Amino acid sequence: MHVAKRVLDFVPNTYFIVAGSGDMERQVIEQAAHLGIADRVLFPGFVRDKELSTLYRNADLFVLPSVSEPFGIAPLEALANKTPVLISKQSGVTEILSHVLKTDFWDVDEMANKVVAVLRHESLRKTLQENGKHETYRCGWTHAAAKCIELYRKLLRPAFD
Amino acid sequence: MPSVCFYFQVHQPERIKRYRIFDIDNDHNYWNDSSPTNLNNRRILEKVANKCYLPATQTLLYLLQEHPEFKISFSFSGIILDQFESYMPEVLRAFQELVKTGRVEILSETYYHSLAFLHSIKEFRRQVRLHDEKIESLFGIRPRVLRNTELIYNDALAKEAEVLGYKGILAEGADHILKWRSPNFLYRPQGRKKIKLLLKNYRLSDDMAFRFGSRDWSEYPLTAPKFAEWISAINGNGEVVNLFLDFETFGEHQWEDTGIFHFLRELPREILKHPDNNFVTPSEAVDRYDVRGELSFPHAVSWADTERDVSAWLSNPMQHDAINKLYGLEERVLKTGDKTLIHDWRKLQTSDHFYYMCTKWFADGDVHKYFNPYETPYDAFISFMNVLNDVQLRVEQSPRPNLFKQLLSALSGA
Repeated sequence: MHVAKRVLDFVPNTYFIVAGSGDMERQVIEQAAHLGIADRVLFPGFVRDKELSTLYRNADLFVLPSVSEPFGIAPLEALANKTPVLISKQSGVTEILSHVLKTDFWDVDEMANKVVAVLRHESLRKTLQENGKHETYRCGWTHAAAKCIELYRKLLRPAFD
Repeated sequence: MPSVCFYFQVHQPERIKRYRIFDIDNDHNYWNDSSPTNLNNRRILEKVANKCYLPATQTLLYLLQEHPEFKISFSFSGIILDQFESYMPEVLRAFQELVKTGRVEILSETYYHSLAFLHSIKEFRRQVRLHDEKIESLFGIRPRVLRNTELIYNDALAKEAEVLGYKGILAEGADHILKWRSPNFLYRPQGRKKIKLLLKNYRLSDDMAFRFGSRDWSEYPLTAPKFAEWISAINGNGEVVNLFLDFETFGEHQWEDTGIFHFLRELPREILKHPDNNFVTPSEAVDRYDVRGELSFPHAVSWADTERDVSAWLSNPMQHDAINKLYGLEERVLKTGDKTLIHDWRKLQTSDHFYYMCTKWFADGDVHKYFNPYETPYDAFISFMNVLNDVQLRVEQSPRPNLFKQLLSALSGA
């Protein structure tokens, strides 16, 4: 919410959609109200299927500002929908993605700096979209399963030798 | 024959510090990073000077004194000369020492190591003139051979260089242009009357510049006698072997422990062992040898990456957007007559800024990553565009200069 507040100072015509549910939902809504930006933040709750891809496709940027995230599948969904992504360096998925923007979760200013850049520069969005979509091709289950099978083979080989 | 023609490129950009939206309209100094990172220009210059510029100029001075036949040439960007003057005048003195021997030629280029030729011919001319004036004031010689940023070259550039009065011009000896022909001769750029074209022998140049320290290379280790043998083998089917490389090859790209300095120290002696071999500067090559054919470069060719095109600087939407917006400000920036502002705008033209935004990681990823002081190309773009935004605000806030000032700046060509 602090990032949203910072961004609105520079690009007032921005809407933030905070999708999902969880035990902090209420707190976040209250925080938006407290910061005086409630009219700029929408809370649709938990979203799935068609609604979810509509949200991804209409967004200029997908942000995952997690303090800690074991992996984080949502950024891959966003990339597959050709939406540029900003993730915290503390999320697991950051290790496999190069064509996304990254910041530390606590660095509110840097996050705002990057969000504003994406909103201001279409060329940045386009470059992230083109390269990002390409990157998701490597993240499919086929690739992961093949790697897993290869590992089993390697481990089992001594038993058969 | 053959004559060995050495040209060393000496350049370091002024990198933009991490510059965020909050800095716009608050901080007009874009180049003064003082962190212990690779964005700290002074720190990098000192590092490269100690690893390369100082020991390598010392080796070359020894070689020039030891071998009266030895000759070399340099091309300096104006902005590295500025940095030498501000941070390490002793490095500039070391280069001046070399030039004093009379056997060191200095080439012409754009002052700001820019891509101006591809975007604004007027700005290109201004920068070449600024550069040559700087060289004359520091070294007392006027360049007569031109080399454009990153060896970017096409037919239009040859025409421009001829009009500007240069007698020679440098380019990459790209296979797709040469086809069956050899880079070891001089050529006439298509449609030109006087100017001669010198082509880089990229195999031999890159053996020194890129492969020298590589243990996976089948020719490792490369010794001076072996390299001299390769040069001598050209006897009979070549007149000039153009070895064009970054000066940072010595000690910075190839570290001292690879034996690169020892190699350099031995090389002239080994080359001169063969009585038909000698050394020339680019101007001497032009005077001594006739052209052996006409060559056309319809599209821009450079010495970078496997593609040998301009895609390292200009391929993704960010790079095009950044450079178009930068040159879009040209007229308005120049009109302000504000020297600091014009200088800042020109420093943003340095090709390296666009190289840092390159997302073409795949084939050349390693080289690009090695040279990139930013975490990602996106970070490079964001800082650049924020700075450009600040420059734009300075242009808008600049008081309109009076007519007299405008006349003065037009006359001085600022």
